[in-house]
Amino acid sequence: MESTLLGWLAVASYAAAEVVSARALWRRQETAAHSAPLWVAAGVALQFAQLWVHGRAIEAAPYRTLAGSMSLFGWMLGISYLILFARHRERAVGPFLIPFVILFSALGLLVPESPPAGAGEGGTRGVLFAFHVNLAMLAYAAFTLSFVISVLYLVQARQIRRARSGRLFSRLPDLEQIGRMNRTSVTIGLAVLAVSVLLGMAWARQVWRHLGDAKVVWALLTLLAYAFLLWMDRRGWEGRRVALLSIAGFCLVLFSYTIVNLYFSGAHQFR
Amino acid sequence: MSGAREAQLAVLGWNFRSAQEHVRERVAFTPDEVREGLQRLLEGGLLSEGVIVSTCHRSEIYGLLETPENTHEIARRVGEWRGLSPAQIEEGIFRREGPEAVRHLFRVAAGLDSMALGETEILGQVRQALEIAREAGTSRAILHRLFEWAVATGKRVRSETEIAVHPLSIASIAFELATRVFGDLRDNTALILGAGETGALFARHAGEAGVRNLVIANRTAKRGEDLAARLGATPMPWEDVAEQLHTADVVVGATSSPTAIVRREHVEAAMRRRRNRPMLLLDLAVPGDIEPGAREIYNVFAYALNDLEEVARENRQRRSREIPVAEGIVEDEMRKFLGWYGNLTLVPTLASLRRRFETSRDAELDRLPAGERERFRAFADAISRRLLRDPVRRLKGDEDPARKLERAEALRFLFDLDGPDEE
Repeated sequence: MESTLLGWLAVASYAAAEVVSARALWRRQETAAHSAPLWVAAGVALQFAQLWVHGRAIEAAPYRTLAGSMSLFGWMLGISYLILFARHRERAVGPFLIPFVILFSALGLLVPESPPAGAGEGGTRGVLFAFHVNLAMLAYAAFTLSFVISVLYLVQARQIRRARSGRLFSRLPDLEQIGRMNRTSVTIGLAVLAVSVLLGMAWARQVWRHLGDAKVVWALLTLLAYAFLLWMDRRGWEGRRVALLSIAGFCLVLFSYTIVNLYFSGAHQFR
Repeated sequence: MSGAREAQLAVLGWNFRSAQEHVRERVAFTPDEVREGLQRLLEGGLLSEGVIVSTCHRSEIYGLLETPENTHEIARRVGEWRGLSPAQIEEGIFRREGPEAVRHLFRVAAGLDSMALGETEILGQVRQALEIAREAGTSRAILHRLFEWAVATGKRVRSETEIAVHPLSIASIAFELATRVFGDLRDNTALILGAGETGALFARHAGEAGVRNLVIANRTAKRGEDLAARLGATPMPWEDVAEQLHTADVVVGATSSPTAIVRREHVEAAMRRRRNRPMLLLDLAVPGDIEPGAREIYNVFAYALNDLEEVARENRQRRSREIPVAEGIVEDEMRKFLGWYGNLTLVPTLASLRRRFETSRDAELDRLPAGERERFRAFADAISRRLLRDPVRRLKGDEDPARKLERAEALRFLFDLDGPDEE
C-alpha cells in the first residue's frame, strides 16, 4: 500500500514534468521548462523509494514480477532522460519522452501483482544476476530514448526539407543536436547491453551450464544492430538512415521484450 | 493651480501610417536633436515631462501636457525648428491623449504598430528613447514608469506569442533553416557565390547569423576580394568553387550566370568528401546557380528563391494570427498601468475639487453680514460634504482604470479645476 502511494506520487511528479515541458514547448515559456528535469528527478527519487519498499514487501527484486519490471523500466527511462539532459542540456525532448516514463510507471502500478518468478530456480539472487537484469533494462531504456529521438529527427528533417516553419520547427533542436543525442543514447545503450550480456553469460555458465536461450540470441542480434548503426553513423549514414536504423533496432528490442520473452524464452520470462 | 500630476498624458507624431516620407524625413531626429528638442519644449513650458521616439518609420513626442491644446503649439514649434510650414507639419500628424496615448505606446513597443509586424528593433529604440530622456532630465516619475512599462509589455508580447518568432525576410528565413540543420553556425562555413547586391546582403546576414567562416567567390576576382575585405571574409578563386565545395556547409548561389554554377556531380563529389555531413544549398539566382538535381542527394537540403518566398508569405500569416493575443496583452498591461496612473492623478483631482468647494463656500459666506457667517459655516460645510460624498465614493470605487481616469478628467473639466481659483 505504501509502495503504491509512493508509485503514484512518482507518476504525479512525472506528469508535472510533462505539463511544464509541454507548456514550455507549445507556449514558449522558457522559464517553465527549467523545472521539468527537477520534477523528473523528484519522480525518479520517489520511484526508487517505491521499488525499494515493494522489493522488501515481496522479498524479491522488483524485476521478478511483470508489474515490477514495468516500474523498473519506467524508472530507468527517467534516469536515461536525466543523463541525456545532463549531457546535452536539451529540454525539447522531454514532452515526447516523459509520456513513456509515465506509461510504464503507471502500468507497473496497474498491472495485477503476481507471485515473484525468477529465471530458473537457483542462483538468481546474486549480485551478478541483479546487475545483468538491471543493466539490460537500462540499455532498453536508452534504446527507447534513441527511438523517440529518431522519430523527432525524421519529423524535424521533413519540416526543414519542406521549409515549413511551423511551431515544432522552431521548438525542436537542430538536426545536428538531435543526431548527437541519438549517438549518446545508442552508445550508452550498446555499452550497457554488452556488459549486461557478458554478465548474463557468466552467470548462465555458472548456473545453467549452457547459453542456449532465444532471448540470448535476440540480445546478440540487438547488439549487432546497434553496433552496425554506430559504425554506419561514422561511415556517412548520419541523418535519416541512422534514424530509420534506430527505429528498426527499437523494433528488435520490443520484439525481444514481448514476443521472445513470452513465447520463445524458457528462462527469461516476466509474467 | 496646476502641477505635473494634474497634467495630461499625450502623444503627437508622424509615422509611416500617417505621414508621407518627405515629412517623416524632416521630423526625424538624431539622439542629439532629441535632447535639444526635449529641452526646448520643457523650457518653453509646453511639457512637464517628455520623451521622443524617433526611428526611420516614426517620430513621436510623448509628454505630460498642461492642456491637450499644447500639442498644436508643440507641432508649430517642431515645424519652425525643422523648416516646415504649419500646413506641412499638420499634414499626417496624429494625436492621442490619456489612455489612447498609453495604448499607442504599448502597441508600438509590442511591434503591433510596426511596418514589419512584431519586429524586435523597436523595443530597443523605445528603451533608447527613455535613456536619452533620462539623461536629458526630461523623464520623471510618470513617463519613466510609462516607458518602462511599455518595454516590459513589449517583452511579454514577444515571449507569450509567436509574433516575433517567424522570420519575414528571405535572408533571415534562409539562415533560420541553416540553424535548424547545424545549430548556432559558429563552426560552420558559408560560401557565397556572387558579390552583387544579393550576395553582399546574404554575406552580411551570414555574419549576423553567427557564421565565423565566411567565404566569397565571384567570377570577377577583384569584386569578390573587395567584398570579402569589407566583411572580414575569405575570398575564394572562382575556378576553385567545384573543388572546394565540400568545405562549405551552406552554399548561397547569388550570381547572374545564365547557366548553373554548381552541378549535381559537384555536389555528389562534395558529399562523398564530407562523408554525407549535411549541406544546405540556397539558390537565390534567376536563372538558378545550383542544378535542381542536387536536391535529391542524401543529406542535401536545397531551396530555391520561390521556396523561401512561400515561407515568407506563410510567416506573415503566422504573425498576423498572433495579433489578437498580443492586443489582449497590451490591453491587460494598459489596464494595470492606468490603475497606477489613475490613483496617482485621483488624489490631486479630489483635493482640487474639495478646495474648489471650499472657495465657493467662502465666497458665498463673505457676502453675508459678518455676524451671521459663523452660524452658516457649519451648515454650508454639511452641504459641501454631502454633495461630495457620493461622487468621491463612486470615483474611488470605479474598477475600470481607463474610465476612472476619464471621469477624473471630466471632473476637472466640469469644475474647471485647472482654471484660476474663484475669487
